Amino acid sequence: MSVLATLFVAIQFARAERTNPPVHGRLVAPPEVEDPIRRACFDCHSNETRWPWYTGVAPFSWVATHDVSAGRQRLNFSDWTEYASDPETKNHKLEEIVQSIARGDMAPWYYRALHAEARLRHDERDLIARWAHQEANDAVPDGNSGRVH
Amino acid sequence: MRLSHALVSFMIAAVIGIAPRGVAAGDDDLVFDIRAQDGHFEPSELTVPANRAFTIRVTSAEKTAIEFESFELHRERVVQPGETITVLIPALTAGSYKFFDDFHRDTPEGAIVVKSSP
Repeated sequence: MSVLATLFVAIQFARAERTNPPVHGRLVAPPEVEDPIRRACFDCHSNETRWPWYTGVAPFSWVATHDVSAGRQRLNFSDWTEYASDPETKNHKLEEIVQSIARGDMAPWYYRALHAEARLRHDERDLIARWAHQEANDAVPDGNSGRVH
Repeated sequence: MRLSHALVSFMIAAVIGIAPRGVAAGDDDLVFDIRAQDGHFEPSELTVPANRAFTIRVTSAEKTAIEFESFELHRERVVQPGETITVLIPALTAGSYKFFDDFHRDTPEGAIVVKSSP
């Protein structure tokens, strides 16, 4: 028991850095779309992460910082205007959002278990999907390349 | 005569007004080509000038789809076999920006090296 306690104390010295870099050009969407995205996605997919107390305690801190880092690399709503400067990249991101929400694999189960507010209702999923379709069609003027299904 | 002048003026204004919107991020006189073939990118390193928008044309000669992706550049595009896509890149500061094939992570990464003018 004392070995475990010593180990627990020792791993606290392996600090995981919890950062929120500046927001350059975040996603702007109607409130009924942005609010659920912010609630369910922003902790891992933006630079506006809420870092609860337990994310400062190893080994949870390691998991949290890893997930946030990987999430921001894949999709960062704080960099949305960067994606939008290449309309086809923006469409691709929108397509991935729709697919991910349809599959129900975002947010991850262990995150949803700790954050009830991250569970999206059916009407919220539908709203986000409709918004993504509209955005994709707006991004590509001819409407042929916005392949959000 | 006046009508034809007005028509010509209108056409010139229309061309001037519309053309820049067609190249939102990339500069149409600064185009670079990258080819995906046999499990690697060719060239694997592109050198481009700093502070100028540009366009990358990515052609895939692979047998399956690839995904041209760069976290640093915020770009992610699927390229089907035999397809050429154009990727618009805004003006960048000097540095190295990696890209990779997200569908085939064993493909060696490439880099866009942005250099300032001497």
